[in-house]
Amino acid sequence: MRSQAVPSRIVAACAAGALFAWAGAAATENEFPDIPTPFLASTPLAVDEMLRLAGVGPRDVVFDLGSGDGRVAIAAARDYGARGVGIEIDGKLVEESREHARRAGVADRVEFRHGDALEADVGAATVVTMYLLAPLVEKLKPKLLAELKPGARIVAHDYGFRGWKPDRQAMISKNFYLYVVPAQAAGKWQLRAALPGGERDYELEFDQHYQELRGGVRVPGGFLPAYEARLSGERITFVLVDDGMSHRFEGRVRGKAMEGVVCSGPGRAPAVNAWRATRVALDKS
Amino acid sequence: MTGIQHKKRDTRGRFLLGVLAPWRFNSRSWFSLASSASFPLEAAPLTGSSAVRGWVVGFWLAALAAAPALAQPALEIPYVPTPQIVVDEMLRLASVGPRDVVMDLGSGDGRIVITAAQKFGARGIGVELDDQLLIVSEEYARRAGVRDRVTFLEQDLFKADLSQATVITLYLLPSVMRKLKPRLLELKPGTRIVAHDFDFEDWKPDHKTTIRKNVMLWIVPAKAAGRWQARLPIPPIERQLEIAFTQRYQEITASARLNGVQAQVWDAALSGDRLRFVIVDSTDPDNEANLYFEGRVIGNTIEGEVARGVGAARATYRWRAIRTSP
Repeated sequence: MRSQAVPSRIVAACAAGALFAWAGAAATENEFPDIPTPFLASTPLAVDEMLRLAGVGPRDVVFDLGSGDGRVAIAAARDYGARGVGIEIDGKLVEESREHARRAGVADRVEFRHGDALEADVGAATVVTMYLLAPLVEKLKPKLLAELKPGARIVAHDYGFRGWKPDRQAMISKNFYLYVVPAQAAGKWQLRAALPGGERDYELEFDQHYQELRGGVRVPGGFLPAYEARLSGERITFVLVDDGMSHRFEGRVRGKAMEGVVCSGPGRAPAVNAWRATRVALDKS
Repeated sequence: MTGIQHKKRDTRGRFLLGVLAPWRFNSRSWFSLASSASFPLEAAPLTGSSAVRGWVVGFWLAALAAAPALAQPALEIPYVPTPQIVVDEMLRLASVGPRDVVMDLGSGDGRIVITAAQKFGARGIGVELDDQLLIVSEEYARRAGVRDRVTFLEQDLFKADLSQATVITLYLLPSVMRKLKPRLLELKPGTRIVAHDFDFEDWKPDHKTTIRKNVMLWIVPAKAAGRWQARLPIPPIERQLEIAFTQRYQEITASARLNGVQAQVWDAALSGDRLRFVIVDSTDPDNEANLYFEGRVIGNTIEGEVARGVGAARATYRWRAIRTSP
């Protein structure tokens, strides 16, 4: 890594490099030693790539967890017109970040909070960026899934989440992983759709592993699989084959209901109709 | 389909049908054809001269439906019709539209090319060895009202001229796919090939979906392999790019030199004639930035745009590369 930091920081960067190598080796043995993440600043290129991969724009609120000297939050405000929030546990770095923001002329659009990323209130974020060691990334996962709104994007630099497939990935000098927080589609739903053959009621059921869905509908005497079922934030898509044609469902999951349009039949002029599903009370039996 | 499992020919049944048929009977899975009458054509009423022919085919199909489990000869390539749902998905995955020419190799009863014309507005060419299936295909096309937009050729699929197709559809055994692969790779870059069940082994599909069956799409890649040179008009100084690609189907890797200095290439990808890659520009060490290249490979040139920087600092420039050695 090229160090663009002040000379005093080069020593820290080298030490951190050694820690990173060690943590990497340990991770392959499925063990996560809990070392505090050292301050190792992302290069300007890596900062750009994280914000680019997340598609950051003026309507975004970018939270950088472990914001160091503030460069990600500042770049989000200065280069992408977003608002930036940095969470940093080192009080000295928080002070530095505020000074950097003033100099960059974005002090009114960025905010730095002195605190632990695990304790921070991140609910307002539309984008979360992080460059943290694997154990902390894993600890943050349930928190982010619970507190972020469906559709919020998480960009991880070097260390991604285990078991959660990134929605997109880029390898430009380093690995960058983009995750879109999925809505909750797991469970049973009562689906009503106007199809070309008439109005249909189906009992729809999904298993969910992050954004990946598996499931289908019960019909008298059988089960129709939901093909190509996927979630991207609150957007859901799946395909049912019934009456000898494909029905492509697209819609949004909003709490206990989802609704959208269904395109039936092939080609340029499919029949387009509305569908709606409501969640059937969860029973664990 | 039950039909293809039979190895022996029932000559008695064949004779009977030969009498009923007004044309030469030469052996094929007629039972399959008759039992696949669910092919959901939106049949126009038969009128005029086509009515006579329609009646003949209708009579023929009725006779077949009445003949139980007609015996089969062993065939080089068995005729097993693709379910209509899968036909729809193949054409959807290939994004077939009005400007496409869809060629089905082993077109059977013509359902793929007829669907491409009727539902997707394309033109269609079916290639089929069996003359009876060709006659049925033409009749189906007439009933679907697309006779003027589809052509059926009585031809060995290995001898067919594939050059006018923008989309090629296949449902062939692995051995046949393997034999066809080198010819398909020589087609115009960007030609889409869509198949189900059987794939091209080490040539990975560009896209894949599962609707009842696995449906796979390949995009014929341009030939990007070799050494290329470009001058990049990026201020403040023009930069000299030398880049070498190695290629395995659509998978490419590259190494580059920017103004004579080794530069790493990231995220290189090829889709048809569309190429993209990223190079870290360290020409000015105090102002490093990624160069995002996009271009089209046209013979021995690549033309496109390169973007430097992101966010507010992003600027794009035209670039053009020439192949200096293969």
